[in-house]
Amino acid sequence: MQMQIFNWLFPAKGDDVRSTAKDRMRSMLTHDRLELPAGRLETLEEELMAVVGRYFELDKDTTHFDLQQYERRASLIANFRLLRSKC
Amino acid sequence: MSGRVIVITSGKGGVGKTTASANIGVALASTGVSVALVDMDIGLRNLDILMGLENRVVYNLVDVVEERCKLRQALVKDKKLPNLSLLPAAQTRDKSAVNAEQMKALCGELKSMYDFVLVDSPAGIEQGFQNAVAGADEAIVITTPEMSAVRDADRIIGLLEARKDEIKEYRLVLNRYRPTMVANNDMMSVDDVLEILSVKLLGVVPEDEDIIISTNKGEPISGTDNIRAGLAYRNIARRIRGEDVAIMDLESKNSTWINKIVSFFNPTVRV
Repeated sequence: MQMQIFNWLFPAKGDDVRSTAKDRMRSMLTHDRLELPAGRLETLEEELMAVVGRYFELDKDTTHFDLQQYERRASLIANFRLLRSKC
Repeated sequence: MSGRVIVITSGKGGVGKTTASANIGVALASTGVSVALVDMDIGLRNLDILMGLENRVVYNLVDVVEERCKLRQALVKDKKLPNLSLLPAAQTRDKSAVNAEQMKALCGELKSMYDFVLVDSPAGIEQGFQNAVAGADEAIVITTPEMSAVRDADRIIGLLEARKDEIKEYRLVLNRYRPTMVANNDMMSVDDVLEILSVKLLGVVPEDEDIIISTNKGEPISGTDNIRAGLAYRNIARRIRGEDVAIMDLESKNSTWINKIVSFFNPTVRV
């Protein structure tokens, strides 16, 4: 009960309908503006991982791959955590 | 005289485009400038009803374009404001009755007669929309904070961006805003929508049952005092005229004692 009151007073960020709507909206519009079909980004991620993976051992858990919007323009942000090079 | 032609558009239907056109028209005219309201929703005429002028319509926009009457004969004067006129849409024709060139010529003629020409665009992004924006210098994009409406507004903004050479400025009106739902984190806030669309804000109109009553009476709400949606439209009109008017505090009036307690403990929750 105490926890419930706590959660009610201090809602966790990203845990409400408003944030869900905002996140879905952002992702939807990024795809709309680029005319990017669903799943295409995931394919790109896999292919890029494979290419980089030929040169480096990767920490796949911390790999970050995302499209970000700034003033209606999208940027592709890819962050590969490298463990060591493959020779 | 060279007036400003402003198209009012949304993409999605049912977000309050025509209501906004009527109200912004009345609010602008109330500041003393001359205003022509143009109903471009050919085949689905409605602006005349919201203005309470449906019994005075003799000729329409298509009659003007097809030279069955003079422009001045088709313009219907408002009942209360002599400096506000309506150019009604044709009810029995469709969007193909007018083309972009004809619309440009019509807007050109209207802006030599009025300070402001407000064009109420039909929903959608096809011919009707293309015609409505053809003669415009500026645009007002109307949306509600719902996902489908915001998505369609984004599409419209993309199309307006592509016409940068003609449409110098576009700004957003967020309609049917529900501050209590936002305070409860059940709906996107003004800032959320602005951030997602990367667009300038012209105004926020709160959800108001009085809008429906005013529609039924045929008297746009911006002519009525003491109604918040009406004040919102009057503020929008002042901003269009270049005045720096702060966005009204929609939250405070709706905040209950419980919200006040929450915001005391957690100031990040907007109340």
